[in-house]
Parts: sequence; structure tokens; C-alpha cells
Amino acid sequence: MSSSDSERMLKLKSSDGVTFDIKDAIVVTKLEFIKNIIEDCCGDNDLILVPNVNSEILAMVLEWCKKHVGDDIISDGEDDEENEYFSRKKEIKKWDAEFVKNLDQGVLYHLLMAADYLNAKQLLDLLTQRVADMIKGKKSEQIRQIFNIKNDFTPEEEEAIKKRNPWAFE
Amino acid sequence: MSEDDDRSPPSDLGCADSESSSKTRNCSGISGSGSTSVEVQAPYPDQVLENVLENVLCFLTSRRDRSAASLVCKSWYRAEALTRSELFIGNCYAVSPRRATTRFTRVRSVAIKGKPRFADFNLMPPNWGAHFSPWVATMAKAYPWLEKIYLKRMSVTDENLAILAHSFPSFKELALVCCEGFGTSGLAVVASKCRQLKVLDLIESEVLDDDVDWISCFPESHTCLESLIFDCVECLINFEALERLVVRSPYLKKLRLNRLASIGQLHRLMVRAPQLTHLGTGSFTTLDAVQGEPEPDYASAFAASRSLVCLSGFREASPEFLFAIYPVCANLTSLNFSYATIDVEELKSVICHCRKLQTLWVLDTICDEGLQAVAASCKELRELRVFPVEAQEDFESPVSEVGFQAISEGCRKLESILYFCQRMTNAAVIAMSKNCPDLVVFRLCIMGRHRPDYVTGEPMDEGFGAIVMNCKKLTRLAVSGLLTDRAFDYIGKYGKLVRTLSVAFAGDSDMGLKYVLEGCPNLQKLEIRDSPFGDAALLSGLHHYYNMRFLWMSSCRLTREGCTEIARALPRMVVEVMQEANAVRDEERRGFIDTLYMYRSLEGPRDDAPEVVEIA
Repeated sequence: MSSSDSERMLKLKSSDGVTFDIKDAIVVTKLEFIKNIIEDCCGDNDLILVPNVNSEILAMVLEWCKKHVGDDIISDGEDDEENEYFSRKKEIKKWDAEFVKNLDQGVLYHLLMAADYLNAKQLLDLLTQRVADMIKGKKSEQIRQIFNIKNDFTPEEEEAIKKRNPWAFE
Repeated sequence: MSEDDDRSPPSDLGCADSESSSKTRNCSGISGSGSTSVEVQAPYPDQVLENVLENVLCFLTSRRDRSAASLVCKSWYRAEALTRSELFIGNCYAVSPRRATTRFTRVRSVAIKGKPRFADFNLMPPNWGAHFSPWVATMAKAYPWLEKIYLKRMSVTDENLAILAHSFPSFKELALVCCEGFGTSGLAVVASKCRQLKVLDLIESEVLDDDVDWISCFPESHTCLESLIFDCVECLINFEALERLVVRSPYLKKLRLNRLASIGQLHRLMVRAPQLTHLGTGSFTTLDAVQGEPEPDYASAFAASRSLVCLSGFREASPEFLFAIYPVCANLTSLNFSYATIDVEELKSVICHCRKLQTLWVLDTICDEGLQAVAASCKELRELRVFPVEAQEDFESPVSEVGFQAISEGCRKLESILYFCQRMTNAAVIAMSKNCPDLVVFRLCIMGRHRPDYVTGEPMDEGFGAIVMNCKKLTRLAVSGLLTDRAFDYIGKYGKLVRTLSVAFAGDSDMGLKYVLEGCPNLQKLEIRDSPFGDAALLSGLHHYYNMRFLWMSSCRLTREGCTEIARALPRMVVEVMQEANAVRDEERRGFIDTLYMYRSLEGPRDDAPEVVEIA
């Protein structure tokens, strides 16, 4: 490692061949996948392939990472610092809400896939919460339609389950 | 570090083991400028969801959402069953312990409800059922990591409690509401063996006095106790042990004493636990006056309890001590005076300070004038319960439509009301329907049978009609007074969200029940007593009974034949008939059964019914 870690630049290449220059510090704590690669063997200006993620999605992931830089730094207890910490947290939360709000299904899937693949736990939590919110209050058939899921119960199985089981635990 | 072309990825990048080809995950490699990218096989959308499904399902807490999720497809059914950590059993006889524990294997918290509510009014034999035994035996093996149990209207024995205490090393919370069958010995085992116990709440339960000092059985070192509620326990507590317990329970926030605790004892405990948020004050009087000792400074103790938001108890309250609670009134959100026979002036002196009050339970001794004071001061009130000090039919009740209307005008945010009175008018009920549109629970008990509008002499149909029409969020309704079928017509037409309906001494004919059964798609719990509904009415609900948790009908006009017919038509309902064998029957009731209790079940007829219960 020739340069100081915090200033090191990385190059990430998406599945469709677009290269993103990004500071190491921005992605390394959020994307476990990148962290692991770097720990193993990385010099300056290394190109990291991210073949499962296209440029549109990778751009969004990186945008999310940039917003969340240092969001886990907790203050030392000084009042001013604490106020700043809490108001920044609030602001980030708002930003996250906007980030997921109008995602269309296709983008949501690919983001989920990317977050899962890149092992980005925090982003994954945000997205899975969003999926859960889309499920809340919906009936089973609506859920299937939203996520394009095939109903693999046989008609008999479905009848049996629908008529008998759910209410017993409601 | 050299950069090799086509180097195989390090193993810690974790290429997913492919159970199926569509689950292939591809790993990247480090490359210099000349490398080619690796082949990608994108998973199908539903495969993606499967990978993260358990994470998604953890965010679903509502039972309905979980039911819906479980029916999406087979893998969702499995994932949902694995991720459900809170199990709710609305009727302990609807499903067997084995079936529940087989489907849901990772449960940490269980809530079980047993007898129907009318059991509280001595309408059922004492050994009717709802035994906790089969549940605790099965859960002991299936859920060794269980942390919470909530039981309502169940029969619980000391032996059950012992099994509980010995089977769940992580056990943290026990709440027994309206339960019976256990005593202080059972409590002693729980206190001594459940070392991580945070909550022990005994609410409106009958506790046998086995002469065991259970309070002394808690761990000798610091306890984890956060809530200790025993206001329903009718036996003397070892007070010194309780005092020591409170001192070594630094996390204690809720403490509700029983009526055998004197105000002097209350004071000593308050001084040792100023951090309490919920306090049950016990008798709130001097039970054993010690001559010559100076009166403790009760007001100071209350003033020091800066976190108090919920006050109850006042079981034998002496009005002379009421002033002591003034310092906490400004912060109170919940006040339970339902055991305190305080009068108008006494109530006024307290309530004028309670600006933040959201929940108030009182006795009707406060009169209409007291209710007017509540209306004037408690603008944040969400829940009001007014109980009768004399629940007799021909008594002149001190509260009436006057107090009722005042409340509706002053407490516009009201969501839940339970009101006992001897007289009421349609006008007052209509006023409440318009002034309090947020009402979710409306329970009006005009005592005395078939009482009409006090002023007009008309039936109370229009009042209840207005409630279902104007209160669009209403889910629970209890009706009373002189009611014709018209009232039920209104309920059927407008009560689309009603889930629980209680009817007593009301209606003209079978049409009434028909209107309700045909009109209310969300009806879950229907309890009816002393109303003229017969077999034809019962049969009109055939299409709906499988959607309900239960139907209770006592002292109506149902025959055995009618019940048998229902049982035949609905094989998955359990139809229980209760008939007092040797009861003297007057001419009117001959041929009619006493009680029908009917509920859907996956298990068929139960095998623990007492003799008086016949299963059709």
C-alpha cells in the first residue's frame, strides 16, 4: 500500500463497462465485498470488477455510500457535537427515505441484488425495510403481482391453507 | 502484490453454493487493464427476494401481514414460519399446541386467550376449560428459548407455573390477565427460578392464598425487575421483603400494590423508588393507625416521583389524603379511580390539574358535575370508563345523559368509552357521534332492562344508529336500552368495521340478528345475552361463522335442534351447548337452551369439557 488509505482512489468497473473513480474511504466501510478484495491484494489504481452490477445501479450504490460517509461516528459527548450528530442523523434518514421512495420495482430488485452481492448490510437493511413496507397491508395476490412471484401452491393446498390456517394465528 | 490475469477468486469472497443454476453468484477478480470481465448469470427477481426474504419478513410484525406473506408461495410460507417470533392464539381451542409449535419453530413470545368475556359475569361453570397445561407442556419442549408469556382468561395451575419456571432459562415476562387456578406457591417458584424476570404482571386474576411468602423468593442480588403488578392479589404481602426487593430492583418502573398495603407502606416504597412511572397506590388509607407516630410527608414523596405518568389503586381511599397526589397530576396521562368512591368536590380538586390526561377510569359517584369538570380540564382524553358503584337496576344513578353530553363536548379526541348509567337520551348519544368522530370503542350500558330514551320514551335506535353512521373508525360496540330491530338494521348497514359486538336485552325478532350477520363483514366476536333471537336467526349467519372467532348466545331462544343443525352444516365449527341440568325453568324458557358458545377450530371437539357442556 503505497499511499495513505484514506486518500486512496479506487476504480470500480460495472458489468456494462463503465468505470467509477471513488475514494477508498467512501466505500470500504459500507461495501464488505470491496473491503475484502482490498485487504487481500490491492495497490493503487487497481481496477475492481463488479460484474453483477450495471452502471445505473452501481452509481446509485456509490451515491448512497457518499451520503453515508462517517455516519457511524459517534460524538464524544460534547453537547454541540451531539446536537450536530443528531441533526445529521435526522438529515440522513430523510435522505434515505427519499432515496427509496420512488424506486420502481426493477431498480429496487437490482439494488437489492447489488446490496446483497456487495455485502452492504446497512444499505440492505434500508432496502429490505422498503420491501417490507410495500408488503404491509397487502393481500397475498397483490404481493405476488408487485414482485412477480409465481403461486406454486396447488389449488387444493391453497384452499386448505386459506380456509384453515391463517385465522388460527391472527 | 502481483496482479495475475485470470486468477481464481480468493475463497473468502464466498461464491454462493449453487443449489440451482439460477442461484449462481459470480465473483469479481482484481485485474489490470487487460482482463476480461467474468460471465454473469443474473438471478430471477423472485430468487433475489428469496435470498433476502428472511430479512424482509423480520420487519413484518402485524399478524395480518404475516398471514398474507405466508400465502404468497411455498418458500414464503416456510420463511414466514421461520421468522415469526411472536405467536398469538386468539382462542386456545382453535388450534392445538402441537400444530402451533410444529409450524412456528422459533417463537420467543406467546399470547393465548381462553374463555370468552362473558365468563367474567359468572355465566360459565368454574371448571369450563381453557387450561394452560397442554400449552406449557408442549412449549417446554418446543421453545426452550421462550421469553414472554401473556395469558388472558386461562386456567393456570401452580404446576404449570413450576414447569414454566424450570423450562425456560431465558424467561423474562409473565402477564396473567383474568386468570385463575394458581396461588402464591406458583408465584414463589416463578420468582425464585426465573432469574432474568423483568415483568410479573397479575391483572384481575384470582390468586389463591397458600400462605407462601412469594415476595421473599426473588433473587437475593440485584433483580432485573421492571414491572411488578399484583393489585388483584387478595393476600397479605411480607412488606419488609417487598421493601428490600424494591431497593435491589434498580430498573423497576411499574409497581402496583394490592389493597392490603397501607398508605404508610406506600410512602416507604415511594421514597425508595422515585424512578417509578406507573404506581398502584394500594388502599391509600391508614389501615393500622399507629398512635403517636408523625404522619409521613406523602405529598413530598409524590413530588419526588418526577416520572410518574400512571396512577391507580386508591382501593379504600380516604379523601383526606388525595391532596398528596397534586404534585404529579400535571404529568399524568393515566388515572384509575375506579375503586375510589370520591365525590364531586374531591374529583374536581384533582382533575383540574390533570391537563395531559389521556385515560381516566372513575366511579359514578363523581356525578354529572364531576364529568363536566373532566370535560373542562382533560382536552387530551382518549379513553373514559365510568363504572357504577351500585350495579343494581332500580338505583338512581348519579350519572346520566348530562355528564355524557358534557364529555362529548369537552373531549373531542375521545377514542374509547365505557359508560354505565341508568338513563340516557338519543340526543346525547347522537351528539357524541358527531363530536367524537375518532371513536373506535363505544360501550354504553344503560342498566335496567329495555330502558327507553329518558326524555322522549322512544327506543334508543337512533342514538346507536348515529354512532355507527358517524364514527367511521368504530370496531367495538356494546348496545343496551330499549332497542328494536331497527337498531340492528343500522348496525348492519353502517357498522362495516365492527369486529366486536355485545348485545344484552335487546331486539324484537330474528331480523335483528340477521341484519348484523349479513351486514357486518368484519365481525369477529359476537356476544349476546337475554335477547329474543332464535334458530332462524342463527341459521342466517352460516355464510359468515367461519370468519369469526366465536359466537356466544345465552338466554336467547335457541333450541337443541337448531344447534345440531348448525353443527351439521358447519363441520369445522365446534358447537358447545350449556344447559343447567336442574335449573328451575319458567314456562317461557322451556325448550330453549341456556347457552351456545360456538367457535371455529382446526382440532374438532375438545376432550376436556365438563359435564355441563355438550358438544353438538
